[in-house]
Amino acid sequence: MSLLRASSEALSSEVDIDDLEAGAQVENGDLLVRYAESAVLGHSDLTALREEVEDRLGRKALIEAAATVSAFEGLNRIADVTGIQLDDGLADESADFRTALGLDAYSGASSTKSQGRPGRAQNVMGIFR
Amino acid sequence: MTLTDAAAASDLNEVITAGHDQLWQALGACGTWWSGADRVAAIAEARQALRCELCRARLEALSPMMVAGKHDSISNMPELAVDLIHRLTTDPGRLSKDWASQVIESITEEAYVELATVICVQYVIDSYSRCLGAPLRELPIAGEGEPSRIRPQGVGDVGAWVSQSLDKSLANVSRAASLVPDTENLWRELVQIHYSRGPEFADLIWDRALTRPQVELLASTVSALNECFY
Repeated sequence: MSLLRASSEALSSEVDIDDLEAGAQVENGDLLVRYAESAVLGHSDLTALREEVEDRLGRKALIEAAATVSAFEGLNRIADVTGIQLDDGLADESADFRTALGLDAYSGASSTKSQGRPGRAQNVMGIFR
Repeated sequence: MTLTDAAAASDLNEVITAGHDQLWQALGACGTWWSGADRVAAIAEARQALRCELCRARLEALSPMMVAGKHDSISNMPELAVDLIHRLTTDPGRLSKDWASQVIESITEEAYVELATVICVQYVIDSYSRCLGAPLRELPIAGEGEPSRIRPQGVGDVGAWVSQSLDKSLANVSRAASLVPDTENLWRELVQIHYSRGPEFADLIWDRALTRPQVELLASTVSALNECFY
């Protein structure tokens, strides 16, 4: 979510990460969220949503979406199964929306000793090396 | 869609598919802590987890530990290895340190990390197929050989559940599987193909078919659905 916020700011576009389910005000965000939900949860409307993404955004965008959804299915699992902590700087960078969105209640939150103090990183990409 | 778009889409899909071809077969090769046959059995077991009644019941329970029973296993892998595969596949957001410690005590932390990494690679490749409505791949061919069981130098306690590289030049998620370097390489290559794509990752503005905010929105949605804290 830190990268969603930072990349939106880089484009000078509005983003509302408190309203993730509705697409966070990202262009075609509502459709992309519905596609991701359907893929992760194995819903029966995945075929229809796949076609809608391709019709509205194009075949290449559909492939990018599939690549991203599947990548994060794995990234979430490797993070959870190894019990990694939030990196230095990421705890501070994410403290505000973790509290607002209730992310600190997730089971994996217990792996991180320091919950951080709300504060934006000067260079968020420096955290994700 | 223009012809150019279609060609570009085909190129991207071809790059990903070609990468999967190589990685998939490498998953079946002999590992450092598990044989090729073990790794192929684990991949089959992970697919079986999606049909496991115990996993289904646990998913609906307030806590997975409230539901006892045996997994609908199809392999001869150790019982706690099967539990690792099934829980990582079906309910990753509710794994706990106590549970992980039990599995590690039973199969060793190196075997735990290698098995988990194999399953993560398999899950990404299978998920990509499901996302596009494509059939799942046949199981990889099991490679010959005996695991070397050599623990790498320069790993230790960095605050995670398992030992990791002590070199802090990488983010924690980037060195999550550093206890098993050969299998970790497969994982890192997969993430490069799907998401990071070299130096471009450091740019906040991407020239892809989806903008970076669109990509990160998808990432955030998946992470929220999986209740992934990281």
